[in-house]
Amino acid sequence: MTAPDLRALRGAMEGISASTLCTCDVDGVPNASMISQVHWVDDAHVALSYQFFNKTRANLLATKQATVQLFDPWTLAIYRFDLDYVETRTSGPLFETMKAKLAGIASHHGLEKVFRLLGADIFRVVRIEEVVPPSAAPSCRGVSFLSAARSCIEDLARCRDFDELADAALDGMVGHLGVGNAMLLMAECDGRLFALGSRGYAVSGIGAEILPGEGVIGVAAREGVPIRIGHFSADYRYGAALGAAARSAGLLAEAPAGVPFPGLGTPHSQIAVPVMAEGRVLGVLFAESAETLHFDHEFEDALVLVATQLGALMALLRDEETDEAPITEADTADAGGTVTVRHYPRDDSVFLGHDYLIKGVAGAILWRLLREHAATGRTDFTTRELRLDRSLKLPDHAENLDARLVLLRRRLEERCACLQLEKTGRGRFRLVSRCRIELEDAGQGEASAVA
Amino acid sequence: MSTTAYATPIDDQISWREAAHTHLLPAHLVAFLQGGVTATLGARSASGRPIIGAGVACRVRDMTEVRVLLSQTANAALIEAVMNGSAVAATFSRARDHRSIQLKAARASIRDTAHDDQCEAARQTALLADELMELGYTRSQADAYAFCGTTDLVSLELRPERVFTQTPGPGAGAELPR
Repeated sequence: MTAPDLRALRGAMEGISASTLCTCDVDGVPNASMISQVHWVDDAHVALSYQFFNKTRANLLATKQATVQLFDPWTLAIYRFDLDYVETRTSGPLFETMKAKLAGIASHHGLEKVFRLLGADIFRVVRIEEVVPPSAAPSCRGVSFLSAARSCIEDLARCRDFDELADAALDGMVGHLGVGNAMLLMAECDGRLFALGSRGYAVSGIGAEILPGEGVIGVAAREGVPIRIGHFSADYRYGAALGAAARSAGLLAEAPAGVPFPGLGTPHSQIAVPVMAEGRVLGVLFAESAETLHFDHEFEDALVLVATQLGALMALLRDEETDEAPITEADTADAGGTVTVRHYPRDDSVFLGHDYLIKGVAGAILWRLLREHAATGRTDFTTRELRLDRSLKLPDHAENLDARLVLLRRRLEERCACLQLEKTGRGRFRLVSRCRIELEDAGQGEASAVA
Repeated sequence: MSTTAYATPIDDQISWREAAHTHLLPAHLVAFLQGGVTATLGARSASGRPIIGAGVACRVRDMTEVRVLLSQTANAALIEAVMNGSAVAATFSRARDHRSIQLKAARASIRDTAHDDQCEAARQTALLADELMELGYTRSQADAYAFCGTTDLVSLELRPERVFTQTPGPGAGAELPR
């Protein structure tokens, strides 16, 4: 018997082929069954999905021992693990990871209403038996993920500001990791996420919003853990929940204004990896594919490396901010026409004319800039002054300020609006208006004119 | 993807009730066991640990005795445990609709294979492999998963004392009373 490294056997734990399980009761009577999920936890542990209280469950609680047989569809090897029960988790990152994976597996097998995760049973692997040795080389992906991750990280290291980082992360996912559909989302302090950029979709979706816990993106952000599913699951779709939640909260009688989520209609594979720094979730890198089982453990490792580096660099940029505010002449270009900018204080949503532009903190920032511009004629601003402006209600850790300014600028660019934000240096930007602007605060019913 | 309706535990209970109440195994169960299904075996080692094994094919003798054909080298621990008197569980599962039945017996015996067992094992593993390919496995994955071409077969033989439906769904695990 050989004793392969558990990490090297993760291919057998992708959930592609059903595994089998045997337990015994206290009288020594065995029970043999199929098991939906054997999930790799670390070098010494796996987790089994607990879905029903059945004979297997009773035996596990009574004897604390199990054995599983797994098939690796890439190498065609078969392994058996002897397992000692450690504990059951009914919430938290591991539970959510397995719950998402199970939802995909259940959907694939037509068992959505049957399979529901009640717990993640953690086991120590006490023995590994190689029953049938590998007879095939793992399938060639055409991409070495370690090398691809290195290229992504090198690109990130060349970036000078947040804007470049966001683009480099997405371009790296496409160019180096071979992702067809990618998205970067940043987190609001209330757990919502908004799309800052994307690749591979018909529309960019910049500004699209994901509710806390919605889909693999929302769960990954909430739990701070990568979430990956290999089959389409209705439980992890996007978009529908947003309107429903707003309506049930009595906020709106109709669908709320917002940017539609650009994702694939029926993604068969999805992965969401949190972008973290200092123990906090700053955002999420997301990839999806119309193919089933498109993202494996190795891809997840690579994307986590990229996301970790991205998070560290975002935090670093925040700390290096400049604070000088250059004074320049106001841009008085007036290409003609008047646009009314409406602000709804309820959610800080801002409309240009009748068209929704943005909401949340990014909306509050724009409104603040426009008001100051109206009052003083000022056009040049710094991120530092925004950070110190308590009226914006920014969270303490405000690298999201950069994200929001980038979001705001990209939304304005996309809309070809008469208003634009232009970068004028690190931590500096300029408000450029090419038309006459009227401000209207919809909450207070007052309007004021800006030159 | 297959459009076949999935089986339910209720289906198993209905077809079981419809079978004649004799000591014989119902014909539909015998047909199921011999129709190219996966076979998962369970036993207990001398030290008390559960042991898992995998059958290659199944044959039923005289409508009473279930013979599971299995690779000797791939199931050495299980064979030893059975020879030492372990109780046995055998779960058979059909890939296309998840119909699953578990048989249990307080003991089983290990015997040499009959002259035509190899041919029958080849037929059943080919059936299973074809079914797996219809579900999206590649040829080599299906053949490996179904243990096609296994030659070092022995026969694990048991008279089922208790029968359970293991088909996923409400009622899974229920005993089918004899």
